[in-house]
Amino acid sequence: MKIIKKLKVKNSLGLHVRPAAVIVKILQNVDSKVEFTYQNETVNAKSIMSILMLAAKKNSRILVTAEGKDAKEVVAKLAIAFDEQFGET
Amino acid sequence: MNSSKLTFKEFYELFKDPMELEICCGHEILDKRIKNLEVQRPGVSLAGWVEDFPTNRFLIFGQLELGYLNSLDRETILKRVDIVITKKTPAILISKNYNIPDYLIDVCIRKNVVLFRSKMRTMELFSKLFFSLKDLSKPVTTVHGTLMDVYGLGVLIQGDSSVGKSEAALGLLERKHRLISDDVVKIEKKGDTSLIGTGPDLTRHFMEIRGIGLIDVAALFGAVCIRHDISIDLVVQLELWDEDKFYDRIGFDRHFKKYLGIDVPYYLLPVKSGRDVTLLIETISLNHRLKVMGYDSAKEFSEKLLDAMNNKSVKNNENNKKIKSKK
Repeated sequence: MKIIKKLKVKNSLGLHVRPAAVIVKILQNVDSKVEFTYQNETVNAKSIMSILMLAAKKNSRILVTAEGKDAKEVVAKLAIAFDEQFGET
Repeated sequence: MNSSKLTFKEFYELFKDPMELEICCGHEILDKRIKNLEVQRPGVSLAGWVEDFPTNRFLIFGQLELGYLNSLDRETILKRVDIVITKKTPAILISKNYNIPDYLIDVCIRKNVVLFRSKMRTMELFSKLFFSLKDLSKPVTTVHGTLMDVYGLGVLIQGDSSVGKSEAALGLLERKHRLISDDVVKIEKKGDTSLIGTGPDLTRHFMEIRGIGLIDVAALFGAVCIRHDISIDLVVQLELWDEDKFYDRIGFDRHFKKYLGIDVPYYLLPVKSGRDVTLLIETISLNHRLKVMGYDSAKEFSEKLLDAMNNKSVKNNENNKKIKSKK
């Protein structure tokens, strides 16, 4: 199963170190292959450095692509994390 | 034909300083994407020979072109310029800060073409633009992996998350090999045969190690342990040891992995506790270097073995003959 969804970065500091850690934690034991695409750059979302490389600030939109058995749940979980601003403001 | 996703605005930002550019016309269409990244001097086409004239390239007008046009009567100028500059022409560049004739401005406005002026000399501008545009249209890809310089060879270590790529890299760093990039490697094609790997500017020379966090390799191990880029010579794929899988025990066959259409020698390295991955990668690298120099350990051994077997059979035959003759 392949799920593609655009998620918006809502927290004020953007995808900095802590949100990246939150994302990696969510994806830690996930079977699906998860990728983030932002400004023509596609990276592995399970790697902190890759997420940080995107340097996505507030209000940027990240294209999330998940492929695998649990793709649907994974994207749903990520959507919640993005919505909740990774526990930040 | 080269395609790109660059807009004129980005083009201008990139080159305004190195090429001393100013925008003379076309401010309102700067957000348009540049479809073709090639450059041309109109030259002979302005004299009326327009067969095979490419209509979608950047045009550079220098003294030659402007001087020739000025020698013509107004009507002919307008006619020729109208043929050479089309709606597909991305942009026109005037070199050496020459005055821009009014007819060029008219045509550019009418056909939605951006007009730049540069202070550089025509041929300098031409070659700079040519090579810069060529660089921009180079195929590039980003892969997940760690790129190290091991004994001068660019080794791309790949594998699933948490298989131990970064740990292997740490081990290699400790043995004075160099890190190019951890986790994210940008690969660009150089010519038709080689691939250059580098790291993204932001995360360059930083590593993430589970249990420790982010570390700055340059600060920890010193500047001697880092490198900006390297040509990728081989790929080592780490994977968790699978008991049911048969791993290469001889090293006879060569395997390759394709990046941007170029084959890179590939080694699959199974990992389990007790195997010193760092040492194994060093060995792979050295062995690969030997192979490149023309010495293939597996092949040499095999030939030695075959030789030994032949000699043995010759000796056996001789022995048999001796025994028979004695009888």
